[in-house]
Amino acid sequence: MSDSINTETSTDAQASTGTQASTDGESPGIQTTAGESEERVREEWTQYQFDGAAKLSVEDLNVWYGDDHALKDVSMEIPENSVTALIGPSGCGKSTYLRCLNRMNDRIKAARVDGSVELEGTEIYDSNANLVELRKRIGMVFQSPNPFPKSIRENISYGPRKHGDINKGLLARLFGRDDTEAEAELVERSLKQAALWDEVSDRLDDNALGLSGGQQQRLCIARCLAVDPEVILMDEPASALDPIATSKIEDLVEELSKEYTVVIVTHNMQQAARISDQTAVFLTGGELVEYDDTDKIFENPESQRVEDYITGKFG
Amino acid sequence: MSRESYQRLLDDLRADVVGMGDLVVERLDAALTALETNDEALAREVIDGDDEINELYLSLESDCIDLFALQQPVASDLRFVAASFKIITDLERVGDLATNLGAYALATDRRLAPEVDVDTIGREATDMIERSLDAYEREDVAACREIAADDDDLDALCQQASETVARDLIEREGDGDDLWSVEQLLDDVSRLLLTVRDLERVGDHAVNVAARTLYMVETDSELLY
Repeated sequence: MSDSINTETSTDAQASTGTQASTDGESPGIQTTAGESEERVREEWTQYQFDGAAKLSVEDLNVWYGDDHALKDVSMEIPENSVTALIGPSGCGKSTYLRCLNRMNDRIKAARVDGSVELEGTEIYDSNANLVELRKRIGMVFQSPNPFPKSIRENISYGPRKHGDINKGLLARLFGRDDTEAEAELVERSLKQAALWDEVSDRLDDNALGLSGGQQQRLCIARCLAVDPEVILMDEPASALDPIATSKIEDLVEELSKEYTVVIVTHNMQQAARISDQTAVFLTGGELVEYDDTDKIFENPESQRVEDYITGKFG
Repeated sequence: MSRESYQRLLDDLRADVVGMGDLVVERLDAALTALETNDEALAREVIDGDDEINELYLSLESDCIDLFALQQPVASDLRFVAASFKIITDLERVGDLATNLGAYALATDRRLAPEVDVDTIGREATDMIERSLDAYEREDVAACREIAADDDDLDALCQQASETVARDLIEREGDGDDLWSVEQLLDDVSRLLLTVRDLERVGDHAVNVAARTLYMVETDSELLY
């Protein structure tokens, strides 16, 4: 028994000596894994070249939760009108990263964000940035469907009304600006875009909580679309759904990417493979290790650690 | 239907495999015509066209790998992609054989064993490939089994043709008037035997296509060997 423990210890020692040596030669950067210095990872494997414009440009993004350095020097450009998947094991920082893209981390007191995120060239972390406007342009769909405990119709019209796109109230009516028709159109358009219209068109005044989980999630997507966003962030949007509902969401994501920039966090690597155009792999410690076309990541990744992760040997 | 784009990819793959097959059949047909009519230009067309088939093959292979890696097909979809992945290899080989036939057509006129009817054997083999592609496209298992049975006839035709060549060669011995050099004769003999063998191989590939189709539709491996 003690023999085997000794053997393990000595193997570990050798392994760490080996990696230490390989790092020393290349850069003084943070140790990653055998043969992969931080420098190489950042310089080569995360430089994703693509045609077309970048919707979001992230530069040297760091996030700390207290003393915990959750996201380390992440830089990546996200192409517009496409699906970008963020994958990686639990605790790798992918959801943290996603939440940085519309400043959701502002709500977490212990979180400190450093770096730059530009939406079409405009810094979203600028102190003058209008958060309401930002989150209108960059919408979000969460893991668990979270419809308001209101009617299906009201779930859709709530956002636009808040943003002042629809006026419907006593005052508005007195001033002759009742936009009931505009609301009906918006509700129908949003629900159709979210592939939910056919299932709920005859019960728009029913409570949204009476819908199935998959329908609720599509309602949340419809709600997000109602304010006419440019970017849609999705955090595990299908993880609480059955396979049929999941495939509906996946079809929807593909459809949405024709008009919107979609960034999706998923634990389901097969889902990332199926629906995304490009995939970013985050690994433990909050590093972006590789970012490339999805077929490249799943057929021939550069990083051994990414290969180990996607083949299920690690993480 | 759910997973629409995935379904589209599967439909595209089927159409593209059939399209590649049609091109291969076209080349095979042209090679046989070139052989029959000593049409040098047509033979060169077949030979030069092989690159196109090879590129098509590589592109379809990559489509299959993408489907495996990105869509994780299962059940009948998995058998379909796996079968297609194998079938394109057979089609590419048939393309190579057509190129061989084109090269034989470029060589000197055949004077040996005129009773060997290469054209008939060739049309039979081409017909088998065409039918196997049709069976693949329509998932016609009865046709698959027919093709496998017909291959025995093609093999018999080829066997008979080879024997005819050998007999002709033996009977030729001592034929002092013949102006052929030994080298010319050897070339002619090997070319003719290779022609027959290549056509026999075309039939084998047709059986492979049928066997993979049968596996794809019925999970039946009876024709696989």
